[in-house]
Amino acid sequence: MSDHAAAHEAPTSTGIDHKKLIMWLFLASDCMFFGTLISTHLLYRKLFPAGFTDAEGHQRFIQDLFSIELTSFSTFILLMSSFLMALAVSAMHKGQLKSFRRNVLGVIIFGLIFLGCQVFEFTHFYHKGLTIQNSVLGSTFYVLTGTHGTHVAIGVLWLILLYFYSFTGKLGGHMGALDVEVAGLYWHFVDIVWIIIFTAVYLVEYLGPYGIWGSGLPAVVK
Amino acid sequence: MSSSHEAAPSKAFLAEEVRRYHHFIVLALWLAVVTGAEIVLIYLPLPTAVIFTVLTLMSAGKFFAVILWFMHLIYDKRLLFWCFLAGLVLAFATYAALLCLFSADRIDTRWFA
Amino acid sequence: MSHDSHHAPVACKTELAPERSDLGLYRPDRATGLIDWLTTVDHKKIGIMYGAFAMLYFLIGGVEALAIRTQLARPDNDFVTARMYNQLFTMHGTTMIFLGVMPLSAAFFNFLVPLQVGARDVAFPRLNAFSLWTFVFGAFVLNASWLFEFGHLAGWFDSFAWHKALVYTDFAPANGWFSYAPLSGTFGANGQALRFTGVGTDFWIIGIQVLGIASLAASFNFICTIINMRAKGMTMMRLPVFTWMTLVTSVLIILAFPAITVALIELMFDRAFGANFFNPSAGGQPVLWQHLFWIFGHPEVYILVLPAMGIVSEVLPTFSGKSLFGYPIIVFSGAVIGFLGFAVWSHHMFTTGLGPVPTAAFSLLTMAIAVPTGVKIFNWLGTIWGGRIRFTPPMVLALGFIWMFMCGGFSGVMHSSAPADSQQQDSYFVIAHFHYVLLGGVLLGLMAGLYFWFPKIFGRMPNAPVAYLGSALVILGFNLAFGPMHYLGLAGQPRRTHTYHAGNGWETWNYVATIGAYILGIGVVIVFGNLVWTAFRGKKCGNDPWDGRTLEWSLPSPVPEYNFAQAPVVATRDAFFEHKHGAKKIGLENDGGEAGVHMPSQSWMPMLASAGFLFIGFGMPMMAMGIPHAGWLVISGLGVLFLGIWLWALEGPGGYMLKTPAPSGAPAPAETVAH
Repeated sequence: MSDHAAAHEAPTSTGIDHKKLIMWLFLASDCMFFGTLISTHLLYRKLFPAGFTDAEGHQRFIQDLFSIELTSFSTFILLMSSFLMALAVSAMHKGQLKSFRRNVLGVIIFGLIFLGCQVFEFTHFYHKGLTIQNSVLGSTFYVLTGTHGTHVAIGVLWLILLYFYSFTGKLGGHMGALDVEVAGLYWHFVDIVWIIIFTAVYLVEYLGPYGIWGSGLPAVVK
Repeated sequence: MSSSHEAAPSKAFLAEEVRRYHHFIVLALWLAVVTGAEIVLIYLPLPTAVIFTVLTLMSAGKFFAVILWFMHLIYDKRLLFWCFLAGLVLAFATYAALLCLFSADRIDTRWFA
Repeated sequence: MSHDSHHAPVACKTELAPERSDLGLYRPDRATGLIDWLTTVDHKKIGIMYGAFAMLYFLIGGVEALAIRTQLARPDNDFVTARMYNQLFTMHGTTMIFLGVMPLSAAFFNFLVPLQVGARDVAFPRLNAFSLWTFVFGAFVLNASWLFEFGHLAGWFDSFAWHKALVYTDFAPANGWFSYAPLSGTFGANGQALRFTGVGTDFWIIGIQVLGIASLAASFNFICTIINMRAKGMTMMRLPVFTWMTLVTSVLIILAFPAITVALIELMFDRAFGANFFNPSAGGQPVLWQHLFWIFGHPEVYILVLPAMGIVSEVLPTFSGKSLFGYPIIVFSGAVIGFLGFAVWSHHMFTTGLGPVPTAAFSLLTMAIAVPTGVKIFNWLGTIWGGRIRFTPPMVLALGFIWMFMCGGFSGVMHSSAPADSQQQDSYFVIAHFHYVLLGGVLLGLMAGLYFWFPKIFGRMPNAPVAYLGSALVILGFNLAFGPMHYLGLAGQPRRTHTYHAGNGWETWNYVATIGAYILGIGVVIVFGNLVWTAFRGKKCGNDPWDGRTLEWSLPSPVPEYNFAQAPVVATRDAFFEHKHGAKKIGLENDGGEAGVHMPSQSWMPMLASAGFLFIGFGMPMMAMGIPHAGWLVISGLGVLFLGIWLWALEGPGGYMLKTPAPSGAPAPAETVAH
């Protein structure tokens, strides 16, 4: 065995790189993490299907609150960022550093656009009367989507650091491709969590006046 | 990922990467189409149960498509798939059970109108 | 290759030339003394530090327990106030579970797993150090709440404006180790966030959160190590049972801790930002806290017990001279216990009005989980049956485990019947049950492990007569303390009440229980004292004083830094025992020797990153206290955490080559396998 072989080049029992295995374990754990947050939100939607009462005491439909155009746009943005990430990883495997940089920059920009949309959405909802303090819906919604947004922000930061690191000449070869792939796994995971949130938190609210939760309720607002 | 030496990636490896590159483009287009279909679907005058089922299937389809292709699971060793699936299935089962344990007619509404 | 080490192999790390990391800072690879311990990434040293801190916190938790028992020795006692009593049982439970048992188990995982799988370190050595220091800082934050409490009681804060403004002045948590809402939560509409407790709850929230991060990081590391770093020939079904139990425990940790992480985030948002997750005034459901806590909490108790079961599964075969009976079944049962552990959480909530169907379902599942546990017990009995038993201290303790844990299991299965549980819930019967499984089970198992592996860790034998004496006192004391509690619980004495009146018939057994607790305390002090004395002054021993079965016994005691001079190649289960007494020998790979083996570099960065948790851990409760600018402490803590991680990533893994002795120095290898 060459005496220059570093420990992380040593063969692993399964043939899977340590970093890749540990990232998939982390993602399995993160499934439980987001599962808890999502189920808290869905649980309270089930208990209080009517929506929320704003600061003046008026009951409001969630459909009035949500803006499906904005959310659809940000969903597309995140999906496309995932696509660009896959291209970045592919470029890194082929050793094409310039292509990698272009694609990663694209992911970063799309990620920032997504975060911008989230910030806009939060302020929009806040002005429409949904706050973290005035209702359970506000608490569950803002904490769930805010936690997802924090995950996105951490991912953007990670990718920015990778982007600049690629200029030092130290990002390359098998280990470089592995580092990028692991960052890519994290980014894609954040995207698939959003796929679930988009359906379970936004889309189902349009299936009936109170969304899918209020099938027994009359379509009248107090 | 097969390459473990610092020489340029082998020809077969590069050819494989190029094939996957085209898969990614096709997949991205399908993801966009399915997402658009979901948004259209919620406005269609179909029974709620039907819409909800189709929506769930579409989302699950997108979810697994991203995992298997963008995240490479279909190309990687099976162990990684089972690791992730364990977390996913456990989360789904536990929280489905938790949702069943709560119902609107069992809560105490004295403190909250 | 950018991560190359540029050193020629050295015989000792102090011979290394100073090397700069990719950041331009000197790597602390040549360090000795205190800096060596602070920057180490060696799993053995990390294990020793975990063990030392665990033993310290065991003693602190024990003092809290003795204060509780002293208060309860007589009716209408006033040894402590009611609030102090609540703080004592909260901190006793939290300390024993998170700062006592879990770190002691982690000490064993750290020291043994790489040795048992035939590796030279864990998969991510710096992450391992990060877990240790995060635990150390989290434990400090949690116990610092006591320091604030004593300061308050002494009147040091009386002149401060923020102190005068406090509604509740409890600084140490008093809300129970499970911190149920609504007591720990808020009430009031529109973000008023009116509370029922003081800052103690905030200390508890952030302390557990930080400790959870430590456990998660360590568990990811161990799963990766066990799956990915096994020696040649070490298939999964040849792994020692202790390593298997480490794997199952680590999987439980990574899947169960996220639930408490989210629950703590939700509770923190309620208290700090006026959210409504558990706020009944806004429709929040306090019982949701119970669900989320126990979705974590039930797997947590299996996290506590499975390592001890793993230890027992190593000790019994060694001192019976027989291999473990039904190895595949024991491994499979461990996995089934882990899996089913996620399905039974609401058995802690039988009296919350779940409804008949859920209650019946959880009741049945809880009964089901007794089955794989029983299977293990039968397999252990099958192991010792017909063996030539040597009653060494570890063996005595392991046998004690089987018997005492079974008693705890019986009271546990009594709880599984929901109608019976409706009387037992919140009574001393529950306390009897979990102390039997935790003390009779987990503590005896961990003590057996300490006595068993101390000779390997320190190369010195414990003093056997003192060990027997200490163990006897522990077993006698805990039975005397907790046995009567079965009766007390069924006679109606409730939990978590700081005193009781005379005339209920509880006086005698409470007094007896207190005496038992003090005997237990003396026993624990004798055992720990014996162990500490052993580490420094025990009689020196060779590499295999017990005629061990697994790979770690083939190494010198204490184990050299590089673990294996040449990487082993195994052909069977219990590879070392077969090597000594059977036909299948351990082979050696053609590495090490003059060419050296690769050692990971030491680093300050994991500790630097963990230090961020110290700032966050104090900052959040200080924000709750109303101390001005405390928020900046939290933000700077996040900054330190981020900085530490960033520098950690940038410094590069480094590494150096260490020469190892040539094959003639190792226990007789029969063949050398070319790599």
